[in-house]
Amino acid sequence: MAVSHGHKGINFAQTTSICLNFIQEALLKHQWQRASEFLQHYFQALEDFNSQKRQVALQNIWKLGSAILYHHPKSNVETFNAFADRMKNIGVQNYLKISLQHALYLLHKGMVEEAYRNLNQAESWRYGEMSASQEKIIKLIQAYRGLLDYYTWSKKRTELSKFDMDGFATSAATQDMHSYFRQASVNLHEIIKIPGVWDPFVKSYVEMLEFYGDQDGARQVLTDYAYDNNFPSNPNAHIYLYKFLKKEKAPEDKLISVLKILHQIVPSHKIMLEFHMLLRKSKKEEHQKLGLEVLFAVLDFSGCTENITAWKYLAKYLKQIMMEKHLNWVQEGWSSRKDWWPTFHFSYYLAKKNWKENKILALEKAFTSGILLGKGCKYFMYVSKQGHKVQKKSIKTMKKFVMKHNILDSEEL
Amino acid sequence: MDFPDNLFPTFFLPGPPGLSDSPGSYLAPAWSDYTQLLKPPQTQHPSVNPQHEASYVTKWGRWRSDTPGPLPFLRPGADPWDPDLTSRDLLFQGRLRHPFGAKATIDVIDQLNQFLRDHGDIAFGPLGKLLQENFNLGEPKKSRKGRTVMNAERLLQDLSGHQPKGCPWAHLSARQRRFSLLGGTVLGEEVEGLLGGLLHEELETRWKELLLDEASTGGALAWVPGAKPHVGQLVYPTGRAYNQLNFQKVKLSPTSEPQALGDPTRILLQGPVRQVVTRTVQEEALVAVRSDHHCAVWQVSRQGHPEPLQVLSTEKGATGISLSPHLPGELAVCSRSGAVCLWSPQDGLQQIHKDPETLVFKDPSSWRWADFTAHPRMLTVADRTGVRLTDVRGPSDCGELLFRVGAEASCQQGERILLAQYLGTSSPLSLSPTLHLICTQFSLYLLDERLPLVPMMKWTHSLMSPPLLAQLLPPPRPGAPLPLLLGGRGGHLRMLHLSGGSGCSPQLVAPPQSLPLLSDSLPGFPVLEPHGQQLLQDRLKAPLTGLTAVVPPSCPSPTMLLFQLSAAGDVFYQRLWLRPDTAAKNADSLQKSNSSADHADDPDLDSHDQTSATPSLDAAPDPGAVSWNPRAAACCRRWLKTLLRVPPALPSWTPPTFSQHYLRWLREEDRGKVREGLQAAMTEGRLLQQGDLGPLPPSDPPPAHEPFGPEDKLTERLEASWEGKGAIWWESQQGGSQVPRKRPSREKRRTQLSSSFSSVRTTSDFSDIDSRHETPSPLHRMSEASQSLELSQEPWARSVPRERRQTLRDYLAVLPSVDSGSCSTPQSQNPSSQTFLSSEPGRCSVPRSQNPTTRTLLSPHPGSSSALCSQNPNSQSLFSPDPGFSSVFHSQSSSIQSLPSRHTPSLAGSQPLKKKPRMGF
Repeated sequence: MAVSHGHKGINFAQTTSICLNFIQEALLKHQWQRASEFLQHYFQALEDFNSQKRQVALQNIWKLGSAILYHHPKSNVETFNAFADRMKNIGVQNYLKISLQHALYLLHKGMVEEAYRNLNQAESWRYGEMSASQEKIIKLIQAYRGLLDYYTWSKKRTELSKFDMDGFATSAATQDMHSYFRQASVNLHEIIKIPGVWDPFVKSYVEMLEFYGDQDGARQVLTDYAYDNNFPSNPNAHIYLYKFLKKEKAPEDKLISVLKILHQIVPSHKIMLEFHMLLRKSKKEEHQKLGLEVLFAVLDFSGCTENITAWKYLAKYLKQIMMEKHLNWVQEGWSSRKDWWPTFHFSYYLAKKNWKENKILALEKAFTSGILLGKGCKYFMYVSKQGHKVQKKSIKTMKKFVMKHNILDSEEL
Repeated sequence: MDFPDNLFPTFFLPGPPGLSDSPGSYLAPAWSDYTQLLKPPQTQHPSVNPQHEASYVTKWGRWRSDTPGPLPFLRPGADPWDPDLTSRDLLFQGRLRHPFGAKATIDVIDQLNQFLRDHGDIAFGPLGKLLQENFNLGEPKKSRKGRTVMNAERLLQDLSGHQPKGCPWAHLSARQRRFSLLGGTVLGEEVEGLLGGLLHEELETRWKELLLDEASTGGALAWVPGAKPHVGQLVYPTGRAYNQLNFQKVKLSPTSEPQALGDPTRILLQGPVRQVVTRTVQEEALVAVRSDHHCAVWQVSRQGHPEPLQVLSTEKGATGISLSPHLPGELAVCSRSGAVCLWSPQDGLQQIHKDPETLVFKDPSSWRWADFTAHPRMLTVADRTGVRLTDVRGPSDCGELLFRVGAEASCQQGERILLAQYLGTSSPLSLSPTLHLICTQFSLYLLDERLPLVPMMKWTHSLMSPPLLAQLLPPPRPGAPLPLLLGGRGGHLRMLHLSGGSGCSPQLVAPPQSLPLLSDSLPGFPVLEPHGQQLLQDRLKAPLTGLTAVVPPSCPSPTMLLFQLSAAGDVFYQRLWLRPDTAAKNADSLQKSNSSADHADDPDLDSHDQTSATPSLDAAPDPGAVSWNPRAAACCRRWLKTLLRVPPALPSWTPPTFSQHYLRWLREEDRGKVREGLQAAMTEGRLLQQGDLGPLPPSDPPPAHEPFGPEDKLTERLEASWEGKGAIWWESQQGGSQVPRKRPSREKRRTQLSSSFSSVRTTSDFSDIDSRHETPSPLHRMSEASQSLELSQEPWARSVPRERRQTLRDYLAVLPSVDSGSCSTPQSQNPSSQTFLSSEPGRCSVPRSQNPTTRTLLSPHPGSSSALCSQNPNSQSLFSPDPGFSSVFHSQSSSIQSLPSRHTPSLAGSQPLKKKPRMGF
């Protein structure tokens, strides 16, 4: 775009920013062709005298250009490659970033070899001294390369298990596989030391360690990932550790202690139902008490209100607890919920809705509401009245039980 | 609930925001827009499970609007609207792009003058107290040792005489002159310093407001679904002070336009409505409203009647209100004092958090925000620096941070939170119910409350104005991505397409798209005269203060209705359809048509287009281009017609034409009226105008107050004057403001006659009376001539010799006649002018049938047919039950419409003459 001569007052900076606005507008209207044409004119921004502005322009060109090429109906991988290669070499500071994004693009397109070559190239790139951020990004590039090595490793592993090969071929293949493992493990090991979210890296690293029988190493990696305070509290870290320990057939106490922490972070996770079963089976009274709290906590969340398994567990467990005369456990869990659970779970509207949509859920909830709120509860009354017509017998037993055991009447006593 | 088992790899390195070299700024999804469309890398080999998915567009289509811009939904309100202050008003930099059109300006010198006059006690009071020792103001002898006491008694005497204010030619006694020469510098400096500080403070607050008007965060437009699926209500504020809450019933239909059913239910509030929130939980529909110092809740019955539940008043001002999506009747309110409370009409208030300081680092803003989370007993508490999860049951200061402006989310320097919204819904088709949306001035973040501090998604929205409105909609089809609407205060809209159930992380599935703005509708309106066009443009460019999208029930193809509320009080809507994209399928047709009309209204853009040398620049067609269909254009035209009937707002810079002096010397009976007028103006939040203070002084009406539009009197008058027919025009106006079309032809003959008649006589008639008028302008001469005609037609004038009529007129003009006093009050004025007109045989050229028209125009009766008038009585009865005020209100509205017809002949005659002395200067 030439700088306008006819109009006074429109200068270089203004035309550049107008052009940028045009490109953004076209992108937001999904007019890829139009955007690409404007982008050609935006290249003038690279002639800015201000080096900082030039840097920003470069980033803009990459950001917008890659987005356009990603969506443009006529674009293909070759065009994208050509664009990325050109962009990498314009500015020193962006080389690594663009390389990594380029690799991600290729990976998305399923071109693993190309991506690998790209990452390799980026890794060996040197230009003067690296800044702290460049060092970090090199680590990330290496980690991605490690992940690709792991892909090859796991491919070789399936091949090896599928085909019966003679001894020599097997040992050669195993060695080959092992070299991939070594390459991958070095890089993956490095990245998971830095605080961050590294789910795919940790998973693949642990899988390889497990394969080679390094259970302690794998456990250490997972424990560090879960319990290092510098890391964000990632629920997946705890779940990976739990699953690993479960596979390892670790003692129940160990499993419970892992899930106890997860319960504190994410009380709504579906694995909490498994946790409840673990606690229920446990001999310790403390664990059994926690088992009730876990169920209550799951049902606190709006996404779990119609979780039929949770309600089933709760109804069954409450029955068991009432029979075992641990009334105070129920009262303890109920005290912080009694002011809002009746409207949240046991309102008349919900009774009608649940009965209409899911009768089993309604029955479980009615039983629970009967125990927690007594026989006068609206939910209980509605469902037992409706249920009386259909399932006379089971309703009768339910009513009987509620008459005998509910925390309201017990409080009065 | 499931947690996504594979998250995108990212660094987590805490630190302050804006570190250019922070590794946190390499948060993967924030690198480039397209990477947000990538799924996190799997542990399986990509070739085993390739991510080759059909693109969003080929799979679902694209959201498209029916019309190129939104259409007006409701008639414009009866109140005029004046555009707010803009940055250009304060800065005066750069060249002006719009040379015409009255824009608000701040005249500092004038403001200071006004301030000194109106608030002399504030400006000079402290100084007076300091100097009191040295002046004797008429007390019994005052003498202090070592002090010079000046006797000011005589000075006061001089001042107590009739002193016209601000007149530089007024008589000054020698004493006064000496005093002002000696004391002027001292007095001036003191006041200047003080006022400078005040002015600076004022400018600072104004500038802050311009940068971010946080009051409208959340939006003041909401939808309450009704008992039947196709009927609901829009809730929004109107009125100049936004203090009228409207509940407008709307009927939706799957294919045709939405229909407003009847008039809205109106509720008058004490303050301006800033935010309206609605929720329907367990079939109980609630509407919560936030005003500056009050919050209120209404329950909407199944029939759609709002019943007030409770009102809460906050001393320091409320900043946010939200309704619980879990429990009916539970709210969270925040105030500027830093307190966040859980409020339920049954149980009252419970304070959850109180901290005047901000969460993460120090920020002067007192803005606080609260919303609910997936757990009914947990709230998010937000300020400009961070968002915290707080348990209602626990102690107030515990809880963990959900988000902080810092390196973890790779925030920029100066980035601040503008909106924090809980996106959860109980629908199983929706996203995970643990997601929160956080908007800053640069980016949009999605956070999962189960993984705090690490954004699940980040997108740079590149909106020019702060995004203060957002809404997540249900998926148009099962399995389809969910549209997330984002609205900037400047009216820019973005739509994002999100996917991700409870088992996978939220992700963009398609590039975000922009939606048409209100100002895109401008080509749909007929072209108007310059001021009309300017009015329309200003109106369409008014800031966006509310946004709500409604999905009509049982539609064959996915559609939604998008309602927008602007600061001018206009409700617009547009219908969006999710339609298969034809352009994506035949990409070859890309380089065909030419669409350069997109930015026709911006001169800069145009110039850019012209100078660019590439011919193929505009070769990109807009595949979604739709044109204005006749029905839409008719809708726009109808709306415009009503809009032009609204009297224009007075320019905001008009200085008030009264002063303390004026107020103090009022007659007893006028005082009550003045007070009422003052109160009325204060409730409406507008300037106090002359009309509020009772009788208009017999001065000439400023021409700027005349309405333009279908009956643009100013233009007519100017045109007539240019043709030399000003007098005739004036006369015709006096006969009534609505002159039938036939009239001009008859007028023409008369004009020729009268002008020839008068031009012969003028010089001879008037030259001997006033020497200054030897060479009057043609316009002036004409009006005088017409007056002479008028006078000669009046019964009393016939007996007066011609040469004495001018003197008589001058005398009448000066005389504060009983007549003029009674005429300027609207009630008595109507009959008098009418009886005069009908009793005067000389006026027979005015058809008699015209009188009733005049009456309907002037009369405040609700029976009149025009939309404007029928709305007035409604609003008026709501505004104030006081009949005294209602009359003031009417005089206000009608004074603008019917200025010319108000003046009795004596007054009309005095007008041009009053101007005479000024011509000498």
